[in-house]
Amino acid sequence: MKSNSIKILAVASLFAACKPTIEGETPAKGSADFSSYTAIGNSLTAGYSDGSLYRSGQINSFPNMLAGQFKLVGGGDFKQPLLPGESGWPGPKRVLAPVTGCDGVTSLGPIVYPGTRDTAGSLTNISSQGPFNNLGVPGIRAIDYLSPGYANIAFILGGAGYAYRFYENPITDKPIDVAAKSKHTFFTMWLGNNDVLGYATKGGEGTVGGINTSDISPLSAFQSSYKAVLDTMTNKGQKGVLINIPDVTALPYFNVIPAKGLMLTRQGQADSLNAAYAPLGIKFTVGANPFIIQDGSAPGGLRQIKDGEYILLTTPQDSLKCGGWGSQKPIPRQFVLDAQEVANVRNATQSFNDYIRQLATEKDLALFDVNAYFKTVQSGVRYNGLTLTPVFVTGGVFSLDGVHLTPRGYALIANQIILAINAKYGSTIPQVDISKYNGVLLP
Amino acid sequence: MRKTLFLSLAGLALSSLSHAGSFQINLQGIRQTAMGGTGVAMPWDISTVFFNPAGLSRLNGMEAYGSVFLVSPNIRYVPANGGTTYYEPEKQSSTPFAVYVGGTLKKMPKLGIGLGVYTPFGSSINWGNDWVGSLITQSISLKSIFIQPTISYAITDRISIGAGFVYGTGSVNIQRALPLQFPDGRSGQLTLDGNAHGFGFNAGVQVRATDKLDLGISFRSGVNMKVDDGTATFNAPAGVSPLFPTGNTFKTNLQLPNITTVGASYRFTPDFTLQADVVFAGWKAYDSLKFDFAKNTSAVADNSSPRMYKNTVAFRLGGHYKINSKFAVMAGGAWDPTPSDDQYVSPDAVDADRLSLSAGLTYEPVRNLNIMAVVNYTTTAGREVSYAPENFSGKYQIKSVSPGIGVSYKF
Repeated sequence: MKSNSIKILAVASLFAACKPTIEGETPAKGSADFSSYTAIGNSLTAGYSDGSLYRSGQINSFPNMLAGQFKLVGGGDFKQPLLPGESGWPGPKRVLAPVTGCDGVTSLGPIVYPGTRDTAGSLTNISSQGPFNNLGVPGIRAIDYLSPGYANIAFILGGAGYAYRFYENPITDKPIDVAAKSKHTFFTMWLGNNDVLGYATKGGEGTVGGINTSDISPLSAFQSSYKAVLDTMTNKGQKGVLINIPDVTALPYFNVIPAKGLMLTRQGQADSLNAAYAPLGIKFTVGANPFIIQDGSAPGGLRQIKDGEYILLTTPQDSLKCGGWGSQKPIPRQFVLDAQEVANVRNATQSFNDYIRQLATEKDLALFDVNAYFKTVQSGVRYNGLTLTPVFVTGGVFSLDGVHLTPRGYALIANQIILAINAKYGSTIPQVDISKYNGVLLP
Repeated sequence: MRKTLFLSLAGLALSSLSHAGSFQINLQGIRQTAMGGTGVAMPWDISTVFFNPAGLSRLNGMEAYGSVFLVSPNIRYVPANGGTTYYEPEKQSSTPFAVYVGGTLKKMPKLGIGLGVYTPFGSSINWGNDWVGSLITQSISLKSIFIQPTISYAITDRISIGAGFVYGTGSVNIQRALPLQFPDGRSGQLTLDGNAHGFGFNAGVQVRATDKLDLGISFRSGVNMKVDDGTATFNAPAGVSPLFPTGNTFKTNLQLPNITTVGASYRFTPDFTLQADVVFAGWKAYDSLKFDFAKNTSAVADNSSPRMYKNTVAFRLGGHYKINSKFAVMAGGAWDPTPSDDQYVSPDAVDADRLSLSAGLTYEPVRNLNIMAVVNYTTTAGREVSYAPENFSGKYQIKSVSPGIGVSYKF
């Protein structure tokens, strides 16, 4: 009997000896306290994707990914104002499907979600289920944070009741009041994108230093509002991460249609355009030509688009392909971001980012320079066998609206934020597995 | 339970990942394995067909031999920056085997002839479909069987030479995820499946320097295992199916290294022998793994993944003690450095410097019949590496206990 148990012991130890023993690093929180995390921001924080907000997009928001990792270092529950449905709210999301253009060519492109709309109950106020940890509101600007009744105004003007559905007093609350109620120990703040983006996505038709959604916000208003929100979020000395504003011209929204996208296949096409444009001295050749765009200050009110100018994703494709837009007729100015408008966008982005950096330094907070990061992503990042690029649809990072990210893109961001947190607070929070999150789904 | 065992034996799958640098398997003889893999200097039995064909003409009569191992390595991967997360591939067992027959003829005692059928290379690892490295590899299985007719001649009482012709046959099966997702989020998948063939030779010299000291050298040529017409199956979403023509095939080749072994064997007493081998492996020939598809599209490009292997030198040491006329015991160890570069360790060929310890026993119940048993323990330290082309970093460890049994009969 005894010798039997010795034998069993011997066999057991033999098998134990053949088990691998290596282990990863045990996550540590460093000098930060992740027990209660609040996310401040806009659509990118809310989990907006494919041109709309829907439940699984919210579940794959980068703050929710971060909260999952924070749990490994003492983080608590993370509550989001989840929508009931998947079809997108208020408008339907985009999905990829074969689309036949006016030229008879069929290719994959974004279409409006054709499935059943499941938005019932989306506008029901759910503030009683709060407090919520994800305070991201699609469309919100930094300067909106001091507007009383913002939620109600946004709902009336834009039909989007994102804030309306989870603010306690949508008629009177300023967004900063909602932030002030948060009992957080850690926060992320990705704010300011919409103070520039609205101007750019409307083709730069708004004004610089205006307060409409198609304007670039006044720098002073941006600064005072941003600082007020940050003061609120750090009023008890809480730690957190600031995320700056990426150069929006790096987004697929401005790059899907190339400036030199006028393809002439026959000499006859070039000849007839040359004849038509001879008075303006514009020449065309077989192959790729710059599109003709509208420009009030150019002779004849039109000219060829130059390098560094952008055509918007929203430009009607059939007008380009079959309506003579960009060749016989100029592309209307609201679909073009010209050199001056690009400069306006970049200058504003630079000023806003300078201020964000200054505050991060003053308040000794972590800063994730997503603007610089997106520039490195331009050439593609390789990660666990995945190649991620900013290319529309095939790149895997940007969703079908050309502005917001896919879950995979948000995971990429989450990991970079984790790196910034670890570097600043001496924590060792593990990264998320990017390949577990969806890129663009194919039909 | 019984069914599982049956399947693994019937499969004749040749998994390594636990024995000697990369996908080389060093389990071709029970006694030699028990002595740390040494065996080039003198013939212990007919398995010298593999270890050094020169030993064949030094055998006394004919012998038939069969051995089989049970190999089931344990591998763990700890991803970089992944906290306490780790991945282990599905437990797989395989049974590398060797069969030899041959020896010296009564009428021509200076001439030895023999045939060996053995499994010198193989690799099999299945990480599963959804693990963190699925886009690099989900599973890979390389199998090979070498058939080697061999001839040997004793030039003098002290010097013998031998050579064999090698025909290698094998198969390759690879699965990995495609970075294309179905509407339900599932990833596409590429399956490569094909049969491989190759030729080579081996040759050796043994010298009985003194009555106590034997010396030997053997050379096994590299074998280029070629797949000419493998099937490439792309499982991709229908929306992109024009990019993935059906009926696609691929070509590839796996350059197996040449191996040069020099060794010595010394009889301290008539019952006690110590021996040592030094093994040079020409892994440098394996610089990349290439797949050449018959039908290329914008999404199906020929593929080359760099491996950057280096030549290696391994050291082996073993001893043999004859207890009495029926029993003998053996023990040994080996240090097998990995041919892989720290920046080029792909999860489809996990490797690290290996320390291997082994012990064995032979029993001769009746004259000329030998029953042999061995157990081998191989371990690696945790190795922090990356596969740079895919930006895939982490730490690996391999451990295994592999028992083997064999039987031989002289006639």
